[in-house]
Amino acid sequence: MADVSRRRFLFNGAAGAAGVLAGGSLLAACGSDGDGGSASGTSPGVTSSAASESAPKVSSLTLQSLASDPVPKEAMEEIVALWNTQNEPTLVLNTVSTEIFRAQLPTYLSSAEPPDALTWLAGSVARDYASDGLLLDLSDIWESDFAGFSPALKDLSTDAQGRQIFVPTNYYWISCFYRKSKFEEWGVTPPETWDEFMDVCETIKSKGADPITMGTGTSAWVASNWFDYLNMRVNGAEYHLDLLAGNRRFDDPEVRKTMSYFEEILPYIDPNGRSFGWQEAAAPLAQGNAGIYLIGAFMTTVLPEDVVPDIDFFRVPIIDPAVPAAEEAPTDGYFVPSQVRSPADAKRLAAFLGGKEAQQIWIAGNTSRVGTHPDLDTSTVPEMTKRGIEHLNNAASLTQFFNRDSSDALQVTADAALTRFLDEPGSVDSILTEWQTAAEEVFKA
Amino acid sequence: MTAAPETQPLASVVPSDRREWLPSREYAIVLVLIAVPLLYETFWVFWPAINTAYISLTDWGGGSSKSFVGLDNYRRMPDDPVLREALGNTAVWVLGYGVLIVLVGLALAVVLQSQRRGIGLYRAAIYLPMVFSLVVTGLFWRVLYYPTGPVNAVLGAAGLEGLQRQWLADPSTALYAVMIAAIWRGVGYVMVLYLAGLKATDPQLNEAAQLDGCTGWRAFRYVVFPQLKPVHTVVLAVAMIDSLRTFDIIFTMTQGGPYNRSELLSSYTVQRMFTALDYGYGSALAVVMFLLTLGFIGLYLHRAEPKDVQS
Repeated sequence: MADVSRRRFLFNGAAGAAGVLAGGSLLAACGSDGDGGSASGTSPGVTSSAASESAPKVSSLTLQSLASDPVPKEAMEEIVALWNTQNEPTLVLNTVSTEIFRAQLPTYLSSAEPPDALTWLAGSVARDYASDGLLLDLSDIWESDFAGFSPALKDLSTDAQGRQIFVPTNYYWISCFYRKSKFEEWGVTPPETWDEFMDVCETIKSKGADPITMGTGTSAWVASNWFDYLNMRVNGAEYHLDLLAGNRRFDDPEVRKTMSYFEEILPYIDPNGRSFGWQEAAAPLAQGNAGIYLIGAFMTTVLPEDVVPDIDFFRVPIIDPAVPAAEEAPTDGYFVPSQVRSPADAKRLAAFLGGKEAQQIWIAGNTSRVGTHPDLDTSTVPEMTKRGIEHLNNAASLTQFFNRDSSDALQVTADAALTRFLDEPGSVDSILTEWQTAAEEVFKA
Repeated sequence: MTAAPETQPLASVVPSDRREWLPSREYAIVLVLIAVPLLYETFWVFWPAINTAYISLTDWGGGSSKSFVGLDNYRRMPDDPVLREALGNTAVWVLGYGVLIVLVGLALAVVLQSQRRGIGLYRAAIYLPMVFSLVVTGLFWRVLYYPTGPVNAVLGAAGLEGLQRQWLADPSTALYAVMIAAIWRGVGYVMVLYLAGLKATDPQLNEAAQLDGCTGWRAFRYVVFPQLKPVHTVVLAVAMIDSLRTFDIIFTMTQGGPYNRSELLSSYTVQRMFTALDYGYGSALAVVMFLLTLGFIGLYLHRAEPKDVQS
């Protein structure tokens, strides 16, 4: 009996070990199946008005989407349904969980029969694929369909060669969110300068609440909200983007200065946040046990409904008045792989996805999002979102977010450095040195 | 007429005569029975494994351009501080998890082996966590370890406020906190293996020892324990392999944090591959993990084999 079981377990063990090996390539191999809906080949019977004579006709188009949460997914389904009532060929929606989508994206883009459009984020994370030659040049639909989009959005969607490779459809703003009623109770008003901000924190603390909430336990990236903003307020957006592009060093005196401001707020951060994810860290804010949460406007979606009307935001305070106030406006949208079977159809689809009707559906379902189309009807947009739009319009310049302005690989280095800094602010110099070393590995790879 | 030929083959069913007796049709069936799993394994296990070994020699971000870089990914390893951390943690994990789960599982089996009323309830309760997925286990324990959660509450009620901490956010406790959750989930399985082993011990031998005055700890150590030898090898192999491939519970509870202090080789491999999209280096880590597992299996075979031949 012993012999039999031993062998069986050995066999399982060997299979398990091989399974570890197999994991990577298996998952990578799955990617090519992802566009199963569109793999049925060409159908000469279907013609489309916009497709040029030379372009191959396709029987269906595929939209690969990472919008897997219920509300955005429903909005996406509605957009696809709208396309299918108005246009040909049939559009098939393929929704994948965000994690798998992220890991598989390079495979989607480089597969022989890629999806015809994919949801993605604007910024370096999109441009990097353009420099690998994986994205379709959308400059002509920018000329025709998106001429009214703001120049900042056009810049954001332009690659190193000056081509537009991205269709931005919506964005959100990152700010200091607070409860109006609690601020009133504590007798504080939204601060504008750093000194005022410190005073507000001190007052809130004296009232027995934690001035700042921050969930860095299972979502270490939340700490990057503060790093991004403090670095932009101290050194400016241009320096910040240079740093994230690898042209500056994390052990520079400039970054060291940023960290000294970070150090000033440490005593005001709810220490329990180290065990929380970003959603859990919203609870102390909702309960009135914490004062301020620097995070994206999407945070309001996890708050109890009766708290939402009490929520407002203020701009991250100015540290150096000489530094223009940049704001973070992470932008989402679509791009198209360069290898699509019918570029004309794919461009038609991209123009539709960025168009007014599709955006209107999207912002109706995602109320903390701001649409990019200049002609959108914003009458149903919540009051705070309108102020968010204004807030971004008044910004000196717009950035995305740490990972979007660099890469997910660099984000990993930031997560380790910043969460360690929260624990050991005294070791800031060695933390920055190690951060630089880790960042160099990322830029080398 | 029919009876004679039918009785005769009975004798030749003895394995040594089988070769002459088996008709060719059965050979074909045997061949198919071997070939189907072999093909399956080749396609789903061996080919991806070899492919991973190849990817580990390339610089690949998951896209179309895959450049051959030889052993570069392996040369990066000695200078990788996170890998050092992950290797150290993996060693602690394999030893800590492996030893504790065997000791606790054995102890539980010994305590719960007797046939008393209601004891089945205890056994079931201890085995129950095994039916939860590791992800569910992770979420459940995350709540227990909350700064204001039950673990700290119990410590506070017992007057041990000094021991209260953020178990999963504290770099000195995170790995061990996850380990306790993993043992809680897996120990029932080890217990069941040992319960079966204890049932299979020779009652006459145990009784004889008892008559000779050998009871209690000595009876267990010198009479029962040696009889469990075949179970030990199985349990140890299971525990070692389980601990080397641990990933999901780390991922749900700490994601390797805070700042890589609970990173294991497995979670770091996933992080490199699927978060940083560094498939080349990630695959190299997977190959290292494979070799380590293989090493464990080899070591285990080497130790287990001669003893088994004796018995």
